[in-house]
Amino acid sequence: MAIQQESLHSDVWLVRADGRLDQSQTPLLETALNQLLDDGRTVLIVDLSQASYINSGGLRCLVSAWRRAKQQDGDVLLCGLNDRLQEVFTMVGFDKVFQIHPTLTAAQRAVKKGK
Amino acid sequence: MGDTLIIPGRYDKIQEACQFVAAGAAQAGLDDTAVFHVELACDEACTNVIEHAYGAEDVGQIRISWEVQADRFVITIHDNGRSFDPDDVPVPIPKDVANGASDFPRVGGLGVHFMRKLMDEVRYQFEDDGNTLVLVKVIE
Repeated sequence: MAIQQESLHSDVWLVRADGRLDQSQTPLLETALNQLLDDGRTVLIVDLSQASYINSGGLRCLVSAWRRAKQQDGDVLLCGLNDRLQEVFTMVGFDKVFQIHPTLTAAQRAVKKGK
Repeated sequence: MGDTLIIPGRYDKIQEACQFVAAGAAQAGLDDTAVFHVELACDEACTNVIEHAYGAEDVGQIRISWEVQADRFVITIHDNGRSFDPDDVPVPIPKDVANGASDFPRVGGLGVHFMRKLMDEVRYQFEDDGNTLVLVKVIE
């Protein structure tokens, strides 16, 4: 699993998570998201287009970041979920918690629109 | 038709267990979606063993077996940890996701919720030598 992060513009950060979001790999993503939130970056887009798998631990990590961001008037948006990931989010109702966009471009557009 | 795998109770070994049952499920004739369900259910079951039955990594082993019984793909997961009954875990998802409850979304018990949603049958038994969890997927 690899985690990459970059600033898209002023206060929006992109985090890319590749591979499996499972119990052994998710801590890497958790560290990256917490670091950004600790630094006051509260609008985060998590690109999951290269993520092949997610379990409950991966979901917990994303929900925890979403909750922290919301408490600071921010948000965590998701994009690029494959069918398997989409099914997992839908199964537990988290598709109604997160803003989920098909592409990074769509997620960026939504952030700009929300400003 | 069937097979058994024993892994150490560590998170980095769970993927091996998932691949093991996924290969068995494919061999048994389950379609891609059902294979994914079996893989995720096995992941959550093994994670629960480490988190709840053993309480930490590297405390004990996990034995994973699969077999085909008529039109059923049956996974049996056994550990030697303390008693952990998945039925004691409440369903975490509120009926109304827009209810604005301060603790929503609740994430405790998600793994058990997945197992119940993904599999056709989830059975648990605790005996002197530990926990046995049986997960069944009907082969359609």
